[in-house]
Amino acid sequence: MTSKTSNKTSLSQTDTIVTNALMVLALIASSFIIMIAVFITAQGILPLITNNRGLGSVNLWHFLTDTVWLRGDYFVSTVYGAGFLIVNTLYIALLTVLLSFPVGVLTALFIARIAPRPIAAAMRTIIELLASVPSIVFGLVGVGLFLPLIYNLARSLGFNSAGGYSVLGTVFVLALMSIPTITAVAEVSIRQVDESLAQAALALGATPTQANFKIVLLAAKSGIFSGVILAVGRSLGEATAVALVSGNARSGPSFGLFQTTATITSTLLQGLKETVGIDYDIRFTLGILLMIVILLTNAALNFVKRKVGNQDA
Amino acid sequence: MMEKVISVENCDLFYGDFQALKDVSLPIYRHKVTALIGPSGCGKSTFLRTLNRMNDLIASCKVKGSIQFNHEETYGNGYDVIELRKKVGMVFQKPNPFPMSIFDNIAFGPRQQGLKDKVKLKEIVEKALKQAALWDEVHDRLNQSALALSGGQQQRLCIARAIAMEPEVILMDEPTSALDPIATQKIENLIEELKKDYTIVIVTHSMQQAARISDYTAFFYMGELLEFDDTKTLFVSPKLKQTEDYVTGRFG
Amino acid sequence: MRKTRLSDRLLQISTILSTLVSIIGLGLIFQFVFARGLSLLSIDLFTSNYYGHNYIAELKPYEEMTYSMPNFDDEDVFVIERFGIALRQGIDLAGNGVVEVEYVHPDSPFNTMISAEVGVDTVDMDANNIIDRISYVDHPTSLSRRGAEVMASELNDPERVINQVFFADLGGGIRGSLITTLWLIFMTLLMALPMGVLTAVYFNEFAPVNMLTKTMRTFIETLTGVPSIIYGLLGISVFVPLTVALTPAVNTNLIAGSMTLAVIILPIIIRTTEESLRVVPQDHRAASLALGANKTQTTFKVVLPQATQGILTSTFLAIGRIIGESAALIFVLGAIVRDRVSIFEQSTSLAVHIWSMMTDEPANIALSSTIALLILAVVLILNVSIKLSVYLFEKRGKQ
Repeated sequence: MTSKTSNKTSLSQTDTIVTNALMVLALIASSFIIMIAVFITAQGILPLITNNRGLGSVNLWHFLTDTVWLRGDYFVSTVYGAGFLIVNTLYIALLTVLLSFPVGVLTALFIARIAPRPIAAAMRTIIELLASVPSIVFGLVGVGLFLPLIYNLARSLGFNSAGGYSVLGTVFVLALMSIPTITAVAEVSIRQVDESLAQAALALGATPTQANFKIVLLAAKSGIFSGVILAVGRSLGEATAVALVSGNARSGPSFGLFQTTATITSTLLQGLKETVGIDYDIRFTLGILLMIVILLTNAALNFVKRKVGNQDA
Repeated sequence: MMEKVISVENCDLFYGDFQALKDVSLPIYRHKVTALIGPSGCGKSTFLRTLNRMNDLIASCKVKGSIQFNHEETYGNGYDVIELRKKVGMVFQKPNPFPMSIFDNIAFGPRQQGLKDKVKLKEIVEKALKQAALWDEVHDRLNQSALALSGGQQQRLCIARAIAMEPEVILMDEPTSALDPIATQKIENLIEELKKDYTIVIVTHSMQQAARISDYTAFFYMGELLEFDDTKTLFVSPKLKQTEDYVTGRFG
Repeated sequence: MRKTRLSDRLLQISTILSTLVSIIGLGLIFQFVFARGLSLLSIDLFTSNYYGHNYIAELKPYEEMTYSMPNFDDEDVFVIERFGIALRQGIDLAGNGVVEVEYVHPDSPFNTMISAEVGVDTVDMDANNIIDRISYVDHPTSLSRRGAEVMASELNDPERVINQVFFADLGGGIRGSLITTLWLIFMTLLMALPMGVLTAVYFNEFAPVNMLTKTMRTFIETLTGVPSIIYGLLGISVFVPLTVALTPAVNTNLIAGSMTLAVIILPIIIRTTEESLRVVPQDHRAASLALGANKTQTTFKVVLPQATQGILTSTFLAIGRIIGESAALIFVLGAIVRDRVSIFEQSTSLAVHIWSMMTDEPANIALSSTIALLILAVVLILNVSIKLSVYLFEKRGKQ
């Protein structure tokens, strides 16, 4: 009798030990996001608040609003400005959405409601493949395919373009990367729309196209918007592909389609030479800026999504 | 004397190789309520959907025979199915309001036809809601979402939505099976009122409902129309034993 | 009525057009990578160094003999039986004629030669090396300019005694990056798989339902929205100093790269594993517990084995992510291609190798495309493997 009881105790003791051990592991896993926030903020704030080994601190207001990345020489000057980078990043994200949203949603509509089954299955595979292509390959194709195209286009229209490195090139590449995301999410949302809604529209005398566009897309709009938010987040954070086609302008902002440009992420990737000093630390400041831009954009878009969604209970 | 607004003769319907309707012939009389009854899978919903050609949505579906609406063959070459659906409306089993305001739901059909005049639209919406006995409950919140209404109200909204098109015939596919008894009662009363202006064809699982509200009843079984008669006759002295067994609840 | 039909048409046309854009987009990517990269694809690519090297070598003492050579059915190949090598007439990228080494007999004195460089003992001549010139004692030098046929006949001349051989290894191989990528996959999975799977097990099987668990879950979910360049910053601020302090590493290195990648793929593994744990029917857990087993036994002996397919899927997904990652590794691993790879030093993965070449002047689009082709092929295989494993698992489940 006693041995049985002690056996049971040891079994549940094991459970307690295991639970605790696993909890520790899970805590470590959960802590990485904190690590990211803490370490990057800690190092990124240095240029703003310390004296940077006698060079003086970086002015925050100036950092947020100036239109030139660096006035003066590296490792001597502290006049860094990322204002134009913020504008560029948001501007490019906007153009990307304008291009990829209609293409993505309409492709999703085609797959979910218009295409016959085998074609829909094939299209879904195509979209999945597009979604698994790494960003560096998009950058490569951007340089090899889009840049010459844009260069020739600009020349034939009478514009000057620095070898094709341009806002337009960046937008094309990012749009191509965003389309699979939007299409995949939109397609799922459209398929989840109750069939009887479409039938009700048809029963009222609407054509199938009208039913699709006026009712089905409307009913799926919340899910579609989530897909857009996801795609915007990725566009804001994309680094290598943008760095390869943007031209890495040192000042801005660049609104012209054929102008070279730079984003927060592309600037982060440039000129990695030293591992100490202000030019190194300022990267972390840019990192903080990027995280804030992404957080704020997400919050704003989610706010809009909730507002629009609430109109229909 | 009694005008046939829809007349079906020798209708066969196939889903691929499976024959769902066999040689069905029946009349739908104007301003009357015709009930379609029968056990599950007997083809009554399928038959209902041939009347506004909603079966077209199923690729493998083939229809043979004659189905005439106002003496025109609806499955004939060149017949405008969109026009048909404007005149033969449909209410579904589960209420399915669009994710829009009450006003927009009802105005959807007329707007699709190109009507933009705000005054006219308001008139239509009000008339439809009154006819559907919903106006009193919602007239002060027409801009609110239709999804906020109760199930019974949503179904009356769907009826109003169909009525806004001013159809001649309203098809109803088990319209109260998803509703509670009180909402069901309201809709049955509504159907009584509606038949003054419209012709109603209703599929129902409930014998009592058919007996209560319909003028004519058609009994379907395994894809065939076994008996069609005025409701009193069919329920009190049916011609076939099978009909009698079904209406007395011995099977189905 | 006609107006509605027109707007319908327009909408239908834009829908078809959009679908075509998506298809063309994918087609462009694959077509470009194929067209530009296929020609360089060869086994040698995987085994050669990236950096070219010029060699000056002398033959070790050897016996004069005639080597039996394989049959070359090519009119551009010239056999030198005297030394057991075969030369091919080739053209370089600029269109000039070059003398390529087609074959070296294993016993040939050219196989292992004495290097004339300081500090290097021996050097091997292999197929695909390029011979620049061969100098002789008392005879004029064989120049590549004169072509392979001339050089071959001069070499076959029994009176000629070789002084020095000047040849080059053109490089352009991706062996270093390939090895780096394989190391990265191995070490990252080693670190992230156990942690990810066990964390998923904790959340789905052991964790109490409270604020703490919810918060932990949220924290892990937010990791998926973090751009990879931020992970790069995390890597250089935490993992690089950590490895520099604890290992022989002095700068960015492979281990730090793996640690960074591990954090990136952690949420993928956790999410996929959790999904497959959730699918295990509750009945199985109940039955096991009812037999007197404790939670630990139930989880590890009954539940987890049924989640194997999900763990496999998460592994494939993770590998795909690792191979495709660039921004974070540029920071934490460096962007300098290496031929000799050490886990304590910087090098490049395949993806970063592309970055390195594309940021060179001029950009090497051809080799980049070849590597891209390789990456895409692997990604394709991984995708298919995932689908296959899901299909096979479901089939087995139904039996």
